[in-house]
Amino acid sequence: MALEFCPHLLKSEAPTLNLTKSLKVNLTSEELAEARRRLGREPNETELGMIDIMWSEHCSYKSSRQALRTLPKTGKRVVVGPGYDSGVVDIDDGDVIAFKIESHNHPSAIEPYNGAATGIGGIIRDILCMNCRPIALLDSLRFGNLESGNSKWLFQNVVRGIADYGNCTGIPTVAGEIEFDKSFEPNCLVNVACIGHGKAKDLVLGRMDRPRDIIVLVGGATGRDGIHGVTFASRVISEESELDRPAVQIGDPFTKKLVIEATLEALRTRKVTAVKDLGGGGLTCALSEMSNKGGKGVEIKLDAIHVREEDMTPYELLLSESQERMLFTVDPEGQDEVLQVLDKWNLPYSVIGRVTDTEHLIAKYMDKVIVDVPSKLLTNSPLARRTAKKPKAESNAQTPRFTNPLNLSDTILEMLSDPNVATKEAVYRQYDHEVGARTVLKPGDADAAVLRIMGTVKAIAVKVDCNSSYCYLDPYKGHAAAVSEAARNVVATGAQPIAVTDCCNFGNPEKPEVYWQFKEAIRGIAYMLKGLKIPCVGGNVSFYNEDEKSGRSIKPTTTIVMLGLIERLSLITSMAFKRAGESIVLVGKTFSELGGSQYHRLIGFEGGKVPNLIISRERASIRTTIEAIRSGYVTAAHDCSKGGLAISLSEMAIKGNLGLTIDLKAVPHLQSMKAYEILFSESSARFILTSPESQTPKLLALARRLGAPAAKIGKVSASDYKITMGKERLAECSVKHMREVWQKTIPQAFEMN
Amino acid sequence: MPQFTIEVIIENKKMARDPEGETIAKELITRGGFSKVKSVRAGKYLRLVVEADNEVQAQQIVTDMANTLRIFNPVVHTCSIRIKSEAE
Amino acid sequence: MKVAVIQFPGSNCDLDIFHVLRNVLHVETNLVWHKNFNGTDYDSAVLPGGFSYGDYLRAGIIAAHSPAMKHIKEMAKEGKPIVGICNGFQILIESGLLPGALLRNQGTAFICKWVKIRNETSNTPFTKTIRKGAILDIPIAHAEGRYVNEHDGIRELNENEQIVFRYVDNQGKTSENSNPNGSMDSIAGICSLERNILGLMPHPERASETILSPFSGSDGLRILSSLAQI
Repeated sequence: MALEFCPHLLKSEAPTLNLTKSLKVNLTSEELAEARRRLGREPNETELGMIDIMWSEHCSYKSSRQALRTLPKTGKRVVVGPGYDSGVVDIDDGDVIAFKIESHNHPSAIEPYNGAATGIGGIIRDILCMNCRPIALLDSLRFGNLESGNSKWLFQNVVRGIADYGNCTGIPTVAGEIEFDKSFEPNCLVNVACIGHGKAKDLVLGRMDRPRDIIVLVGGATGRDGIHGVTFASRVISEESELDRPAVQIGDPFTKKLVIEATLEALRTRKVTAVKDLGGGGLTCALSEMSNKGGKGVEIKLDAIHVREEDMTPYELLLSESQERMLFTVDPEGQDEVLQVLDKWNLPYSVIGRVTDTEHLIAKYMDKVIVDVPSKLLTNSPLARRTAKKPKAESNAQTPRFTNPLNLSDTILEMLSDPNVATKEAVYRQYDHEVGARTVLKPGDADAAVLRIMGTVKAIAVKVDCNSSYCYLDPYKGHAAAVSEAARNVVATGAQPIAVTDCCNFGNPEKPEVYWQFKEAIRGIAYMLKGLKIPCVGGNVSFYNEDEKSGRSIKPTTTIVMLGLIERLSLITSMAFKRAGESIVLVGKTFSELGGSQYHRLIGFEGGKVPNLIISRERASIRTTIEAIRSGYVTAAHDCSKGGLAISLSEMAIKGNLGLTIDLKAVPHLQSMKAYEILFSESSARFILTSPESQTPKLLALARRLGAPAAKIGKVSASDYKITMGKERLAECSVKHMREVWQKTIPQAFEMN
Repeated sequence: MPQFTIEVIIENKKMARDPEGETIAKELITRGGFSKVKSVRAGKYLRLVVEADNEVQAQQIVTDMANTLRIFNPVVHTCSIRIKSEAE
Repeated sequence: MKVAVIQFPGSNCDLDIFHVLRNVLHVETNLVWHKNFNGTDYDSAVLPGGFSYGDYLRAGIIAAHSPAMKHIKEMAKEGKPIVGICNGFQILIESGLLPGALLRNQGTAFICKWVKIRNETSNTPFTKTIRKGAILDIPIAHAEGRYVNEHDGIRELNENEQIVFRYVDNQGKTSENSNPNGSMDSIAGICSLERNILGLMPHPERASETILSPFSGSDGLRILSSLAQI
């Protein structure tokens, strides 16, 4: 569950006796009525508070879950689909991969260091719950332009937060993406994903199946974190004490590391029957979800919970969002064994109750029943009725055609230095991306990170992608493009794309234009997933990412995490040019499609049509690249996207410290395209491959057979970087100079002022 | 027994340099226009509550602890121990 | 040859070094929880990298007080080879088994990258098969790796040939640019006076299989293989 700071939560208020009047809940009057109807009576204050949180947007997905159900979620590799802590996919030989992505946008916008850190903390727990060892992290970050002091501050501290937390827990952060755009000012986006490795036979689901199992609360002691003044009974929350309590919790990666090892070790005893992490909605959410999934109930003693603050009320205990807590259900016969593991790791815990078969969540305090609610009531909120309305076309529908820039070489250099293109090395150097000794392709080596699966000859490729410029201009196509780009990114490393998980980031869904964006996004993602036969095994939704003052919302952005499977280590392919003399082959046709492009951003134009997506073209290019790599024809591969041909080629040259000679005439493209259009168009379904001269004819023949347009467009050279159109010289750069401008931009953003 | 609040401040010795302090001074404070702030030392601050008969004893307990447990590394750190103004 | 890899709360690279020792070098190795460690059962011990106790107060200081370190000190006295990698090096320093201190990197940020180190002496059990002056490609990943010592301390290390590895550039020379963290005298690793304790900041276990190396090498193995032979 996303640990989101909900801006609508209550201000502090002195508790009074008649609480339903003075307790400001976010439930609408219809929802309140529905709650009463289902319960068969008036809920008491604590129960009402629980329903309020469980039926909030971030816990219930009431605005999004209907649309999300349209995403394809089945496939022969799907072991656990959406609805559990994380999706799980089969990668043969009894190995499985669990993965999930989550957002931590609002906390990070307020307190970037701890907001990002606790975001990492949260996503790790979701993987642990399945009994998989977390083996990698990915981060997808979006900030306003770096000229803004605020965005620079957020950027620096989000990165530090992710670095410190990830490094301390010993999980490598291996891939990511960073976008800078004014729509993310001040609402930055911090999406973090975790990948875990486990065995199918050891998988555990966060579900209570066995009545009489013991419930153990493990980890950090419970305090009043996350409760914004909503308490009753004995305490009055003054303004002062409200300020005392941080809106964003402090991350504790050391405790998290202990929780990881203790949980995995406890699971190895085979006496822990289910695990769930406590995030948004605290104990209430974890207990109700676990019991509802298994069709069971729970009975707990609130006074048994280990706490770190005094006089906590039942409400506070049930809804606290204190960090680093897990819930275990334990076979009564294994209780001692499991608790011994927790003692070894010095983790605090409390035995708080039992699984029952009543299907109710019953909480007692000193033997007095405080709460008695059907689990299903809490987990199955009514759907929110939202309307979708397409906004009036703000930007130009047609893409204007410009004249060629005066100096294409300068344009390429300028583009390379743009923060959206420049190397993010200054970021990933702060992440320990090699701990675990699994990272074969490290950040920067290729389009995706590649991790070997220990004890096998296999590897996985992982990447997270979204181009928010496309998504803004056309949420349907833009989001379909995110899927196709993510797929190409893993394919370029030698992998077969096998599953995705997604994180939706949108503005206020109560606004019809925003809700329209969301529905279009899901439609686009579904379209491409179905076309590529890739299932979505889970996801996350973050709404309300809008500037409170201006009401302006972020560009719609759904980040896609793509998982690819590489059958054997020898297939792993990186992007750097390898050897002078090798052929450069472009797979896929180039059209004049610059809407949302890096080039348009450079010349200050927003608008136009984003690249088209035709499933057959996507599949043909992907198949060609996969087969070509399998056949041994390919020495380097790179997906062609942001910045088009020019930038993708430049990246390969810079990485390989080699040059190129390219003739644009050889690029499969429409007639009458101008040079800048061919170089900077961001048409989909394209790959740049290098191949030894002797293998090139076979590569081209393969492409022909599979229906992908492909042509040799030039050669890798020892040092010259030359682009021509027939005899006409278009661009000449020094690779050394290109590398300099490409490397300079992001480190500047880390200087403190 | 009364309780005393004792502060422990660990700083780098001059020879060990203090890149964190220097960076804060140069990149943040000076660039930020606060030219009256001449230098910055970064260090570690611990605030301890100690049960003892009197201030002197409390301070001694902390001194012993700092030395025995190597709260600071004498090769590169200085460690100052002082009583906070109020006794609790 | 039986090697113990000590696990402290917060150790991260224990499984990595264990994998190399057991699966690559085929050495008899055990992962041992620090509280259960008994040095008499082992011929050698490795203190792995990570963030023992969260690096709280100072990297390595809390682990230095673990009961396991009493055993390590015994083993060291008996001349058994002990290797401390990254956090392990920090723990050896904080235990007083190696001299000096490891402080925050000069650039203050965490750095994860491959570096070149030069072997400065073949006169240790760990480097006896490595030529003096040989250059090794090994990655570092740390925030507190800057080696610092008093002037006399550095002089003694030099005189006693206790500096085992130095950071160098592509040409094998020490320089400011090739020193990733500002360590005095470009020190990447040192050994004890008796020579059987080695502490180094780079991670040889991440450079022991060609698949993981950007240079397709396995230079880390040249150091770790010593544990298979002693």
